[in-house]
Amino acid sequence: MGAIFIYAAILKIADPVGFAGSIAAYKILPYFASYLTAAILPFVELVCGVLLVTGYRVRGGALIIGLLNLVFIAALASAIVRGLDIDCGCFKQGGAKTSPWLALLRDLLFLAMTVLVLKTESRKRISSPPLPTLAEDEG
Amino acid sequence: MKRLWHSTVTEICLILAISALAGLAWNRTLLTSAWHGGLTQQAEARTEVAAPAADELVPMPIPLAQVKQMRDAREAVIVDARSATFFAQGHIDGAVLLPLEDAKKSAGALTGKFAKDATIITYCNGFSCHDSMELGKLLMQAGYSSVYVYEGGFPEWRDAGYPVATGGA
Repeated sequence: MGAIFIYAAILKIADPVGFAGSIAAYKILPYFASYLTAAILPFVELVCGVLLVTGYRVRGGALIIGLLNLVFIAALASAIVRGLDIDCGCFKQGGAKTSPWLALLRDLLFLAMTVLVLKTESRKRISSPPLPTLAEDEG
Repeated sequence: MKRLWHSTVTEICLILAISALAGLAWNRTLLTSAWHGGLTQQAEARTEVAAPAADELVPMPIPLAQVKQMRDAREAVIVDARSATFFAQGHIDGAVLLPLEDAKKSAGALTGKFAKDATIITYCNGFSCHDSMELGKLLMQAGYSSVYVYEGGFPEWRDAGYPVATGGA
């Protein structure tokens, strides 16, 4: 899961203009906001992906990824409703076109995986004692 | 439980802040270009601009709505960077043909091709095509200061139902 987001992020970081174009094609965000999102979003994906892979601060990273997936699903659904025939812009920009329907199904799968990660994480927390430093912070 | 949520929210804020800072720093040139591009279009002011610095010789991106507006108002020269074959099959009505390959071969001849203070918008086959960006850079190097790249290109224009022409240049 983390590796998928790292892979997606690196492709987008390599081509921010192409990604901005993909965002603009959704016709949701205004002109400059498309570029701002294209500049920041891949780095959010990258950081969260790295956190998931390394197992450090998994809960925060997974929650952000879950939220991002919800946003992607909403954007794709709106593209489908408006009949936009666009590339989802999920991975390589300007590559083979991925239909919004396929991207939507993929994001639903990612969302399910995120929920699984969060459940596993909370189980770990319950079974393992809290870190002494955290306990001291609050004490 | 409350403590857990508190620390999670802090984590999320930290992650987002670090990512945003990294993204802004990494893409500062692009964002500056996009910001100035937007402002220039809004201002519609023809001012004497100082000679652009080397790192500013990148054409500004321009969205569909503004291309349509500037084309209709005849405020810009629309330049098709694709080959003559693609141009003949369909192009933005009113566009002039200037394939990137031709421009590369005769870069010196670009200087007198358009009015010196002309606003030029280049386009090609959409977001996957980079010829319009390359042509835009060549035009800027040739001395044109007001150059924009319409990244949606011909596919987006056609799909929007805007005027299209076929045939030769």
